Amino acid sequence: MTETLEKTARPVDAGRSTPLRTARKPRNVIAHLFLVVLVIYFLVPVWWLLVASTKNAPDLFAGTGALWFGKDFNLFANLADLFTYNGGEYLQWLGNSVLYAVSGGVGATVIAVLAGYGFAKYRFRGRNFTFALLLGSVMVPLTALVIPTFVLLSNLGLTDTIWAVILPSLLSPFGVYLMRVYIADAVPDELLDASRVDGAGEFRTFFTVALPLMRPALITVLLLSIVGTWNNYFLPLAMLSTSKLYPITVGLGLWSQLASSNNGGSHSLWSLIIVGALVSIIPLIVAFLTLQKYWQGGLSLGSLK
Amino acid sequence: MAPVGSTTTTASPPRTAARPSRARSGSAKMLARRGRTGWIFIAPFAAVFVLFLVAPLAYAFYLSLFTKGLATGTVFSGIDNYVKAFTDPSFLNGVWFVVRFSIVLIPVQMLVSLAAALVLDALTTRLARFSRLMIFLPYAIPAVIGALMWGFLYSPTFGPLQQLFSLFNAQAPFLLSQGNVFAGLLNVVTWQWAGYYMIIIFAALQGIDPSIYEAAKLDGANWWQVAIRVKIPLVASALVLILVFALIGTLQFFTEPQVLAPVANGTITPDFTPNIYAFNLAFSYAQFNYASAISFALGIVVFIAVYIFMFATRKRGSLLK
Amino acid sequence: MALVATVAAMALAATLAGCSQGGGSDAQGASNPKLTNCTNKMMNDAPQVSVWAWYPNMAKVVDNFNRAHKDVQVCWTVAGQGGPEYAKFQTAISAGKGAPDVIMLEADQLTGFEIQKALVDLAPYGANDVKKNFSDGAWKDVSQGSSVYAIPVDGGPMAMIYRKDIFTKYGITPPTTWAEYAQAAEKVKAAGGPLFGDLGSNVPAAITALMAQKGAVPFTYNLQDPKNISINLDSQPSKDVLDYWAGLVKKGVVGTQDQFTTDYIAGVVGGKYATYVSAAWAPGYLTGAGVGKGSEKGSFAVAPLPQWNAGDQVSVNWGGSTFAVTSQATNKKLAAEVAKGIYADDASLTDGWKTQTIFPLNQGVLKSDAFINNPVDFFNGQTANKDIYIPAENNYKGFNYSPFSVYYYAQLQAEIVKINAGKISGSQAATDLQATMVKYAKSQGFTVK
Repeated sequence: MTETLEKTARPVDAGRSTPLRTARKPRNVIAHLFLVVLVIYFLVPVWWLLVASTKNAPDLFAGTGALWFGKDFNLFANLADLFTYNGGEYLQWLGNSVLYAVSGGVGATVIAVLAGYGFAKYRFRGRNFTFALLLGSVMVPLTALVIPTFVLLSNLGLTDTIWAVILPSLLSPFGVYLMRVYIADAVPDELLDASRVDGAGEFRTFFTVALPLMRPALITVLLLSIVGTWNNYFLPLAMLSTSKLYPITVGLGLWSQLASSNNGGSHSLWSLIIVGALVSIIPLIVAFLTLQKYWQGGLSLGSLK
Repeated sequence: MAPVGSTTTTASPPRTAARPSRARSGSAKMLARRGRTGWIFIAPFAAVFVLFLVAPLAYAFYLSLFTKGLATGTVFSGIDNYVKAFTDPSFLNGVWFVVRFSIVLIPVQMLVSLAAALVLDALTTRLARFSRLMIFLPYAIPAVIGALMWGFLYSPTFGPLQQLFSLFNAQAPFLLSQGNVFAGLLNVVTWQWAGYYMIIIFAALQGIDPSIYEAAKLDGANWWQVAIRVKIPLVASALVLILVFALIGTLQFFTEPQVLAPVANGTITPDFTPNIYAFNLAFSYAQFNYASAISFALGIVVFIAVYIFMFATRKRGSLLK
Repeated sequence: MALVATVAAMALAATLAGCSQGGGSDAQGASNPKLTNCTNKMMNDAPQVSVWAWYPNMAKVVDNFNRAHKDVQVCWTVAGQGGPEYAKFQTAISAGKGAPDVIMLEADQLTGFEIQKALVDLAPYGANDVKKNFSDGAWKDVSQGSSVYAIPVDGGPMAMIYRKDIFTKYGITPPTTWAEYAQAAEKVKAAGGPLFGDLGSNVPAAITALMAQKGAVPFTYNLQDPKNISINLDSQPSKDVLDYWAGLVKKGVVGTQDQFTTDYIAGVVGGKYATYVSAAWAPGYLTGAGVGKGSEKGSFAVAPLPQWNAGDQVSVNWGGSTFAVTSQATNKKLAAEVAKGIYADDASLTDGWKTQTIFPLNQGVLKSDAFINNPVDFFNGQTANKDIYIPAENNYKGFNYSPFSVYYYAQLQAEIVKINAGKISGSQAATDLQATMVKYAKSQGFTVK
């Protein structure tokens, strides 16, 4: 996961208001064509998913028209099937994903904001070293950590519980890096000093002065943390064994295993998997759209170093 | 950034800790106290960091110093596992694959993202705004699900590619065959991540002071020249950052090949990438000691690669400011 | 600030939720606290035993068990199917915690877990009470000497499913020997017909069974003598079998598609393969996958597995599952009760075979009229059980599995991939496989004979 924020001393401004209007017509056309090609490339699989969701199992494997609708429009039947299969298993998984993503994401953001502020605004021994350590930690392959983390959590009696997923998700070195970089420039020391001079304590200063200035970066980190936890597959796969606790990624993975050896009994799981995949991407898309105005336009940017 | 000029009041501020503060805000004692507060801010993160990264890492390293045979017990073996790892053809082939893959994938991804970001930066039409969202969309799809989708799309029986070819009575190339899997995976990963990088570069571009463009245009630069000579250099540090993290991520390639393995007709072997190899060693063959060593060996490879890269781009931007 | 308040509220809520959830997995002693997160509901307050299983009809099976038992209740979940479940089990073994009380394992996995002392010997818990319910071969697969590590549930005696319509069209009668099989394959090809069969790289268990059918004994391993193992993967029978199939691939008469994929199923539906060398659970698998619903309905039949020598009746097995008790079980006695009793009652077994979910190994079922004379729908009413599968099962002598089946299968799979790509001959594959496995066994501390 990568991200960068450029810092500015200027207040937030919603994107540039004077675009380069001097582009000549032909260039505009080429540019737009390029965009169209890209959009098609990125959307074809999603379109396929949409179309496939409206088909029932035989149509899916009929071997014709993968990118166009089949004879029947089965979307609602598939949806009904999805939400009732195995006693509403899918909804349980969706709820789990929401729980993990929100609590993990919010938690990670809170921790990252605090730590970023600490790194940016305080001088203490070992600060640079710790920060370098932070970046180095990103290079560690997660596979190395899974079994030890499992051992650790099982010693705490937390494996196969929601905490096994939420707690490790609180770790976001990227988030800390981003916040630190952004705060270092977006929150002027002068303001902080002024607040201290006024008699506010460190924490009050943080909350009333610094925090509002961090908002674009904070929202970005929040979004990235939520997305990261939502998309997480490997961690919950390793930590959870009861299917009731699975997030949607692991749940669909399970159905996919069962479907391949056709262990759905007489129920073809393929259409469920496809419609399930479709439904699973909706919450994130909604989240993006709603938070969009905060983080896309709101990443106020000034000169880059 | 030292605090500017200090005019502390003499009366002790009622809300702080009951300590009459006659010191100036720039005094060492004050700074020291604030330093300690700094630790408080960092504490929650430090706790999680130690608990979920340092401790497991230390334990994993400890594990890697032992060897466990199914028939024998666990025996201390020092760096034997590491020697074994760096002479293990499975590991080395995996490393070779991810290195090659990174060398091709990262430029491709960057080109696509950069081009898209530049174009989107230059236009403000509705199409541009819509495109921005659509290009970013795949990032909202978990890699697992994206790979599942591509598994379907690549199907030699049901995939649209095959159906297109069958219109001409031809057989589409199987994009997960031995010869094509490189390209097949390249496509999946680019599709999944290009939008994410694009947004970052775009955000960085949006932050450029427009007056610089005015200056450039006054000098007679056209759009292309502005892009190459002005924009790209100004987002260089953002680019370096993404490149580093892309490099790290790609060397640790795991999810997509793992998910696509069942539909790849045997192409994606249990040691296809070092991370997959470590995973299988730990979870399929019950050899976590060796698996830990492989993971660390991979970490070493990643570290060296990143170091080389940072060295090569040291003029273009520093990550540690 | 609003953000902080929200976070604090969520943290509090989560803590409370977490408190009420915890306590299940680190239970101790005989008190058997209530387990949480069961997929099924409890029917009474008896102590609970956790079970991992992936049968499609497991919900019914569990309910049947829970209804009939006042002394114990089953708490079931699907922890994965096959490999992923074993991976989770392996993790739990390494960590010392997190394994279920009872686990569904395929027979070829048992030795690997027995050697890690992860399974409980059920003989002291009355396993031999149910021995009479199973054939010798089936019982041998779950035993090590006088120790019994699992209770069989279903099996996969192998046979040859074929397309009657294709056979009729090209004038083929079901081959009884492998030589006839090869001849029939060429005949069909010469007449422009479809592929005769398929050598999937992802079915190493089937291929190993076929090697055993010619007399190969790939592994000789005895848990009582844990450090020694014999590996004979390059014996003449192994080479012969691999050469045979490599030859078929080379001649282009069999496919190289991985099985258990939608692409393979599409091929079966479309008549791309004239035969499917498979196990007794295949009809259920194929039906569930959608085969037999379209124009190909009613065109399938089954014949005994071809033999190497005319008149032989060597029987081999592919797949099949058991229930074992793990060494992390809190109450081993109760867990053993569950392992013996679950999926062993009439209702569950009948549901299992009627829905073609399993081929039960329970002799009671195998001897029942209903099962024997069952006209199998998939085979257009052929009494496949009576004619083919029951005799095959009763003839099955058992197999000696290695303690590293997963690794072995992965290596065999890699060799088959090479065979299918035409890069290597069957004999060469056998030799390479032998070398790899011997090296591996030695690195694991075994003395290889």
